[in-house]
Amino acid sequence: MKIKATLKNGVVDVKAMAKHEMSTYNMMEKKTGNREDANFITHIVGTVNGETVFEASTSQFLSKNPIFKFQFKGIGAQGDTLEMSWVDRKGKTGKGDSKIK
Amino acid sequence: MERRNFLSMTLGALALAVVPASVKAEDYRKAKPTVWSAHTVEDAMKNLYGSATFIDSGVKVTAPKVASNGGAIPVDFSADMPIKSIALLQDANPEAAVCVFDANKYSVNKYSVKIKMAKSGTITIVALGQDGKLYGSKVSLDVALGGCEG
Repeated sequence: MKIKATLKNGVVDVKAMAKHEMSTYNMMEKKTGNREDANFITHIVGTVNGETVFEASTSQFLSKNPIFKFQFKGIGAQGDTLEMSWVDRKGKTGKGDSKIK
Repeated sequence: MERRNFLSMTLGALALAVVPASVKAEDYRKAKPTVWSAHTVEDAMKNLYGSATFIDSGVKVTAPKVASNGGAIPVDFSADMPIKSIALLQDANPEAAVCVFDANKYSVNKYSVKIKMAKSGTITIVALGQDGKLYGSKVSLDVALGGCEG
């Protein structure tokens, strides 16, 4: 994952991108004839110092290589690490981390 | 048999989700699988929050009036009040649900994502407030080139 986390005025601003095809059931039906080939990120979590600061359940209708922008406050100093991880419909996982600037 | 499996899975997932609710956030796909198969925004809302109506206040959503590329439409949304979760739903694709964000004490409740829409339609943002009420907002847009087939 590509992650950028910036602390400003007590709020950490995050832009994160996960590399994923995010194929829909209809797309795969056309491509392979099997709707069950559809694969997309279903759950994504972000943590700082072991605390959850972001959690999303997602469907096939996020864009390819989906981008998430979000903010959190009350946790995370400059130099702390934001860790993010996702899991897709087929059980594959991906992760990334970034120091808060 | 399929129905039975489905029911027991649902109950199991609910039981798992209910116990640690105060300490851990929720995977809505496991906890509420029917949200993701619902074809209409109303059904998705009912399956997620138990109601298809919301108070039209406190939630903002912005999207381009005309999206040239339906494969990556930027949507910004936010909630002013303390919330438990916030969902993005739309009526242009075979199923309505796009994502559900779980909120906790660290959340600012301001989000941006890029979504796919197969045709012109309406995006609905609905948030479950910590007061147990539903708040929401809608925005309609034209999609020039649908984003679900390519």
